[in-house]
Amino acid sequence: MISQIGSLALNIASGLILSTFFFLFYYRFTKNKIFIDLSERAIIATCLSIILSTICLLNELLISNFNLQYVAQYTSYETPMFFKVTSLWAGQAGSLLFWSFIMSIYSLIYILSTLKRIKELKYPSYLILAFIFGFFLVLSNFIANPFEPVSLDIIVQNGNGLNPLLQNVTMAIHPPILYLGFVGTSIIFVMTLSALIANQINHKWISSIRLWALIIWTFLSAGIILGGYWAYNELGWGGYWAWDPVENSSLMPWLMLTAFIHSSIIQEKRGMLKTWNVLLASSTYLFVILGTFITRSGIISSVHSFTAESLGPLFFTFLLLLILLTGFWFFKRYRLLQSRDKIESFTSREGGFLYNNLILLIMCFIILWGTLFPIISEAWDGNKIHIGANYFNQLNVPIGIVLLFLMGIGPLLSWKNTSSSTFISNFSIPMILSFISGLFYMIFTDEFKIYPFITSMGIVFTLTSIIGELQKSFKSSYNNNSSLSKAILQLLSKNRHKNGGYIVHIGITLLFVGFVGRAFEVEKEFVLSPGEEIYFANHIFKLNNVTSEARDNHYAFISDMDVVDENNKYLTTLYPEKRIYFYWNPDPDKRQPHSELDIYSTMSKDIYSIFSSYDAQKNEAYFKIMINPLVNWVWIGGIVIVFGALFAFWPSSRRNYGTV
Amino acid sequence: MNKIYTSLILIFALVVLWTIYLTSIKEDEKIATRYYTIKELSLENQSISSVKVGGLVKPNSINISESNRLEVWFYVYQGEDSLQVYYNGTRPDLFKDDAEVVVAGKFDNNLIMATELQTKCASRYEGDLKNTNTI
Repeated sequence: MISQIGSLALNIASGLILSTFFFLFYYRFTKNKIFIDLSERAIIATCLSIILSTICLLNELLISNFNLQYVAQYTSYETPMFFKVTSLWAGQAGSLLFWSFIMSIYSLIYILSTLKRIKELKYPSYLILAFIFGFFLVLSNFIANPFEPVSLDIIVQNGNGLNPLLQNVTMAIHPPILYLGFVGTSIIFVMTLSALIANQINHKWISSIRLWALIIWTFLSAGIILGGYWAYNELGWGGYWAWDPVENSSLMPWLMLTAFIHSSIIQEKRGMLKTWNVLLASSTYLFVILGTFITRSGIISSVHSFTAESLGPLFFTFLLLLILLTGFWFFKRYRLLQSRDKIESFTSREGGFLYNNLILLIMCFIILWGTLFPIISEAWDGNKIHIGANYFNQLNVPIGIVLLFLMGIGPLLSWKNTSSSTFISNFSIPMILSFISGLFYMIFTDEFKIYPFITSMGIVFTLTSIIGELQKSFKSSYNNNSSLSKAILQLLSKNRHKNGGYIVHIGITLLFVGFVGRAFEVEKEFVLSPGEEIYFANHIFKLNNVTSEARDNHYAFISDMDVVDENNKYLTTLYPEKRIYFYWNPDPDKRQPHSELDIYSTMSKDIYSIFSSYDAQKNEAYFKIMINPLVNWVWIGGIVIVFGALFAFWPSSRRNYGTV
Repeated sequence: MNKIYTSLILIFALVVLWTIYLTSIKEDEKIATRYYTIKELSLENQSISSVKVGGLVKPNSINISESNRLEVWFYVYQGEDSLQVYYNGTRPDLFKDDAEVVVAGKFDNNLIMATELQTKCASRYEGDLKNTNTI
């Protein structure tokens, strides 16, 4: 019954979208405002229907209604309740409905908040929203319907269950957070295209869209970092980023949105770069759809892409239509977007923002080219060429280092022009400290590597520059206030955008500390019997024992390995496990091995242990050990980034910080 | 056009050209590896230093060495065509019969000596209902 309500709600939502088009069509010719109100109500009703449908699917997942194919595929009676909820986005059909669900929530906020203030955008916004909703509803109703019943000749006693690797709290949080970022870009797109159509690329638009962009950027950043955290802690390959096409697909919109957040400041301050901002804001969503096309089409081989029904041609057509629509209105409004004001100096704050945009754009191009290269090369000469991680690292690492320095240079530049005296006084301390850090690097590092050397200088330069700027703000508020607490409060409540931005930049600099560590990673695979030990990378690994244990939903082989450092000081005991899920199943194909890692984590390094295999007859255990320096700084950087972004957009007063 | 805009466009154009040039040097194995179908490789007589192949693990073909459990031989297949693969290292958890894999390494004498073995990411693993308990 509930599943039928869910399915019906999806059908009703499609009908409501059709009626929205009708109302807008009538408004176009009659100019009668009642039709705008009707279309608004129709879209709100669409959103509510989608939300109802999602709740129905969630209910079916929770009560294990295996009459539905989706429920049987991704849950079982044994699946814990929490992971039954997360299976909502585990498969293609559920994740598409979940996409529409998030889009509904965003749309409701957009309609009931932003459009109440910028009424001029109502008509084009409803039109574009209806178009986007229409597309996703076609997918959910006709191509990948989560309410599809199982075939009549099958009676499902128990479902497949959720993959054990997905039964992890990080993996439960990562997809919805990333989706909040991905889907959120559609509101940025709707707002940009409707402002283009209504010719409203003005101050009201930029202050409102900037706040949307900051919120969505925060979700996107948190989603990407959580994905890396999950991969590192669960997948057992010792890394957090592999330049896989699907990973790249999430990074490209992030780069575009980051560029937009920076260049929008110039429009806010000086009314410039309108054309550029329109391009960046709309391309963010286009990159999201491109990424979705890559993930769901199978056109580019990726370990992350969906294997079931290919939605590629549909997403490709949708992407093409969006590009044509944006292109058409962009060229139509091009002249009206021009500004008379110009950026005069290379050494100005505006210039700094432009260099930042250039770097982000270059990174985005490099990633786009490398990701699409298999298709390009195949079309060119019939050979499908895979571009490996070396390509991305070779090009992006030096460019990333330039970006790191730019984060430190930007705050030291003045608006319009930086005089030579200001230049010298602002740059001298960061430069000196940066050189000193370079000297320390050369003295204290055994192995000289050029990129880590320059990066460590860049980290010190940027941190000094940003902390110096924060200190200046603090000094001025301290001078205005007699007490320290009042000065801190004033610093926190005033200039939130600017100070929040600085905190984000500190977070990104900390990410670079983690990236430096990657240059010094080492790994070894070896076999040990209980009582044996091995020396590797200045550590002794001694296997004490291997025990086994039957648990609730798996069988585990647990190793017990002491780690001692080069001074014979005991560091830790690692307990990596080899687990067999569904071990009770007589069909060996249905048993699922899983390596449960154990990581000894410190601020300077991680000792990452994987129990690769176990030969019970010979009592031999196979391990892979990695020494990964500075990885924790990546997660710390991620937390600081999210905190800084929250700080930047958290409104203390509506007047000062704009509204969504 | 403004001097700053011109310089930025020029820098961007140069990086674009450099990127295209870099990927056009297909001999550079560190950057580019050619995807082969199993059929294409089966017809190759010469050894190829860097190949990438995707396919399914042939059922009952996984042979783990008795002396070193990290060493494995198996066949990867696409339709009617199959090729033997040798890999020495920690295998992904999802590696089993009929698992979708991507292998990369050297091709010689009808054998792929893989240095990389990847299975479908767990986050995209789509269970097949045919395998579900049925009456």
